[in-house]
Amino acid sequence: MATSSSSAIANKGFASTDPELAAIDASVRWPVLFSFLTSIHWMVVGTILLVYASSLTHPQETIPGLSLFVNLSEQCSFFTYGRVFPAAVDALVYGWATTVGLGLAVWLLARTCRTTVFAPTTLMTGVIFWNIGIALGLTGIFLGDSSSVELLEFPAYSTWVLWIAYTLFAIPLFGTYLGRKPGGDHLAQSWLLVALLAFPWLFATGTTLLGYRLLSPTLSAAGLPSSSWTGSLPGSGVMQGLLDAWYVHGILTLWLAPLGLGLLYYLVPKLSGLSIRFGSKAQVAFWTWVVLAPWTAVHDMVGGPFPADTVTIGLIFSGLIFIPVAFIGMNLVGTAWAGEEKQGHHGGVVLPFLSLAAVVFVAAGISEEILSIRSANQLLRFTMFRECNIFLWVYGFFSFTAFGGMYYIVPRLLDFGWRSALLIKAHYYASLYGILLVLAMLGFGGVMQGLTLENTDTHVTIVNANDVALSFYIAATMCVGLISIGSGIFALHLGWMVLDWLRIQIRGSRLASEILLEPYEGTVPAKSSEEVSA
Amino acid sequence: MSSTPHFRTFFYLVLASFFFNWLFLVVWPWTNLGHQAPIQDEGSTDITPWAISGAAHAGEEVYAANGCVYCHTQQVRADSSGADIIRGWGTATDLSDDKKQVTRRSYPRDYIWQHEVFLGNSRNGADLSNVAQRFPDAATLYRYLYDPYILNPHSSMPAYRFLFVRQKISGQRSVDALDLAGDDAPPAGYEVVPTAEAKSLVAYLLSLQKGYHLPDEKGPVPATPSNKS
Ligand code: HEC
Repeated sequence: MATSSSSAIANKGFASTDPELAAIDASVRWPVLFSFLTSIHWMVVGTILLVYASSLTHPQETIPGLSLFVNLSEQCSFFTYGRVFPAAVDALVYGWATTVGLGLAVWLLARTCRTTVFAPTTLMTGVIFWNIGIALGLTGIFLGDSSSVELLEFPAYSTWVLWIAYTLFAIPLFGTYLGRKPGGDHLAQSWLLVALLAFPWLFATGTTLLGYRLLSPTLSAAGLPSSSWTGSLPGSGVMQGLLDAWYVHGILTLWLAPLGLGLLYYLVPKLSGLSIRFGSKAQVAFWTWVVLAPWTAVHDMVGGPFPADTVTIGLIFSGLIFIPVAFIGMNLVGTAWAGEEKQGHHGGVVLPFLSLAAVVFVAAGISEEILSIRSANQLLRFTMFRECNIFLWVYGFFSFTAFGGMYYIVPRLLDFGWRSALLIKAHYYASLYGILLVLAMLGFGGVMQGLTLENTDTHVTIVNANDVALSFYIAATMCVGLISIGSGIFALHLGWMVLDWLRIQIRGSRLASEILLEPYEGTVPAKSSEEVSA
Repeated sequence: MSSTPHFRTFFYLVLASFFFNWLFLVVWPWTNLGHQAPIQDEGSTDITPWAISGAAHAGEEVYAANGCVYCHTQQVRADSSGADIIRGWGTATDLSDDKKQVTRRSYPRDYIWQHEVFLGNSRNGADLSNVAQRFPDAATLYRYLYDPYILNPHSSMPAYRFLFVRQKISGQRSVDALDLAGDDAPPAGYEVVPTAEAKSLVAYLLSLQKGYHLPDEKGPVPATPSNKS
């Protein structure tokens, strides 16, 4: 993380050196920046809620002042664990990851299509609606309108708003794609397109079919026998659990994962100035991932009240996931590490985040692989290991990709530099150690918890399992606290940067102290860095 | 994929892989699970599973609103796939003969009456498939929800005091007032009573009891509605 001496390049600016790319970046400036700013706000909100929720389950002596919050959660339904926890997860998955993901997707689509974005105002409206939908949904959960269907907790009234928002997104995205020019980056774009196709497919199907659930009470109230009617609808009985498993894993592996991978396949070669290592495997990796990854849904079905053959077939498919994971790991980790070596250690701001993301992707893939082994799944199925798996995707892989992406993109949108190398360093290390410790705690804790839950001694009870789990949970909460400090630092840094930028816009002149960081300058030959593709 | 001729193929292949997964993971099981009917016992009017009362249905919503599913599952896995039966979560008194016990895993048919199914993915707390078995009456459950620490002083089960109200006793003490002792006891002249929400939640929890046998235990049952056991 080098700090460039400011005076030398003070008037160089930060926009892309390629005027075509600079024009593209300028065209997406407002919607993308707005999605970044709002998403980081949800990140902070979600993390605070998560820390609060998990501390509620700890004994009151462990944290000073905790009894106050526990009392609050007992007296007031708003603050009960079963509302705060899903609100936290939704704030992180939709408010943070999906909002920032949409911003990144817009930018990446425009870049890889080599065209300025179509209808940016519509996009901006989309981001606004999206945020309104999330705020409504979270409020609904707190008010007790949660459906308790994992990742689809948002009540119907907010789902509508999210639908409108996505439609508003879809128009400019589609328009931009239609206006594409040849010469873009195929591989990054393929990943991106998968994500952009999967999200509406998942969200529409999930919300509609599980929405049928709400029909049964209405029908029985109207005197219609609810079972004969709604029993045959897809959203009834254990089909609800099945659909939800399909949805949750789809969001992780077909929306967040491909989106993050698209960005990595675009940025890693660009920043390192190297072409993708083992690039010939990238296509295989892509297609095997798209076919196999959604089968990870059966991880939530093993042993449950579902048809056994579906589970068996699913475990075979999801067990093959090591193929794309290995290839993607070779591609991305290989290239990123080679790039870091070339730059000298910590030679940049962006690349460390991206190579960390690539490593966490492999870790997440390994955890999916573990859950595909039937006996391991039986052990870990209901423990904190599952939480660890979701954390790996959302907090680990996707967040690091998004941070790296933002460190790269925001200076190019604003033509303005980050303010402090120290803050970036603090963010990096807080997130690095935070996530590593959380994963260690939840992963190892999951195994210990599972060994107790699945103990064949009849005297072992759930209380014993909780005693085992507790210390791991407490440690994990503290590490989430560490991550949240990192995210808080990032939020403040971004805010500071935008405010300074606004100041000079108003003043109309550049500041002498303006340039602090140019992440990749000097490490990559300018022309080829924009051209390299896999 | 930005040069046009490849895009169509790309697009169709991606959609095909989505549909492949959807077909085998969702649609195929649905052809089995979507039409399950209760089973009528031969020579009797009883059906299993028993239908659920309106109050219990209202309780499903309270269960959803307060997120019990984030700590409790409602699925008992077979002996071969976990220790759920050993934990005692699959055991319930036979509803047709209360001297017998039924111990078994859960089947899809167990859930056909529920509007909202809470299979759950986390076991911070016990599996609740047969919770009524362990809490024979509403009074014990009310007290447990009001103060789980009575049973386990360092329980991580949250207390749900907001589902209860403290009120002045006017004339007679209410029938469903909680018997509370120690720190929990209200001041003299006051009582703690469950709200309507608590009542339906408890009605729902008391409906969670699978003390009956299903033909599914002997092997797959045809998907069409059947009247035989
Ligand atoms: C934070 C996690 C958590 C949430 C949320 C939660 N519980 Fe629990 N629950 C537990 C734990 C842990 C136990 C195990 C008993 C103990 O530790 O004392 C338990 C035990 C129980 C038991 C006793 C089960 C038995 O067989 O002994 C019942 C009944 C119960 N919970 C009902 C509920 C209901 C109803 C809700 C929602 C309103 C709920 N729980 C929400 C954690 C939770």
